[in-house]
Amino acid sequence: MSEEVQVQDLVLRARSGDVTAFERLYRRHQAGIYTFILSQVRNRETAADLTQDTFVRAWESLRRLREPGAFRGWLHRIASNLVRDQVKSGRARLEISQSALAGDGDGPAPELARQDGGDPWDGSVSADVRAAIWQALDELSPEHRAAVVMHHMEEMSVNEIARVAGVRPGTIMSRLARAREALRKRLAPIVEAEDGSV
Amino acid sequence: MAQCEQFKNRLAGYVVGALRGRARSRVEEHLRDCARCRAEVAALERTGALLAASPLLDAPDGNWDSISRRIAQPARTVTRRLRWAWGAAASAVAIVLIIIAFFVASPNGSGPTQLAMSPPAEEEMAAAIEGRIPAAWAAPLSDEAAVGLRFMSTEDGG
Repeated sequence: MSEEVQVQDLVLRARSGDVTAFERLYRRHQAGIYTFILSQVRNRETAADLTQDTFVRAWESLRRLREPGAFRGWLHRIASNLVRDQVKSGRARLEISQSALAGDGDGPAPELARQDGGDPWDGSVSADVRAAIWQALDELSPEHRAAVVMHHMEEMSVNEIARVAGVRPGTIMSRLARAREALRKRLAPIVEAEDGSV
Repeated sequence: MAQCEQFKNRLAGYVVGALRGRARSRVEEHLRDCARCRAEVAALERTGALLAASPLLDAPDGNWDSISRRIAQPARTVTRRLRWAWGAAASAVAIVLIIIAFFVASPNGSGPTQLAMSPPAEEEMAAAIEGRIPAAWAAPLSDEAAVGLRFMSTEDGG
């Protein structure tokens, strides 16, 4: 069974009240949603609360999801709306807090999500490099940061991100290009390392 | 070098796949002849690879427990709401039954019209006002006195 079919099956089961199926959907998508929210609100506690809110709202609204295969994008849209409300209400911390993201801040280090392989360094990015990446991300605009996190870290397609953000795919392409340019400059010491071993 | 300046701002767009058709071909033509821009493209690609290698962060342990508790609550809320709805419906039925019983028990079957002021009631009120007039004079600053004055001046002046 392909991953998409699995997700559809879980969504249909969850929609009929199967909490176990919904828990499996949570396990599958929690890291993506948490990382996306964290990249926007930059506070671990707020991000954890909003991740909870996202899944609770998803559970309550599952009947309104027309395409079960579009679950991930739909979940991101819910998260995105919650983040917007949070920022509007002024409850989200807006100051840069990369130490919290890198795990050497005022709380326990965030667990790294297990990846199913397929990335160039096989998850061997050091804590220092991770901190540098998040610091560089912090300097981008929220829109550019969201596009980068969804595209590069979550491997979402440009069209999927465009649907989440409610803009044209060309706009997402443009954000990705501008963000790549800015990050290339900020991460110059790392990306210019001769063999790329980090 | 002048050509590099012209292409510099397009390299990131080229790398992320934002350039199509003629615009893409022109960048590719330039890259064949320009080692500096090729190096820049390589650096932009490495940046993308670095981002892709940066792992997602897990939500804190215990997040699912909180979610599962919260998604179990609406069921109780619905039950409570249903109970409230049943109570409200029962009360409405009881009120309707009382009104019906009132109509049925009324001797001439004209219950509701009795709520309006009937001519005998008007006469009773007029008599009551007249009866209050002498008492009102005893308390000149009272409302009754004011009513009495108005009543008497109407009668005197016509």
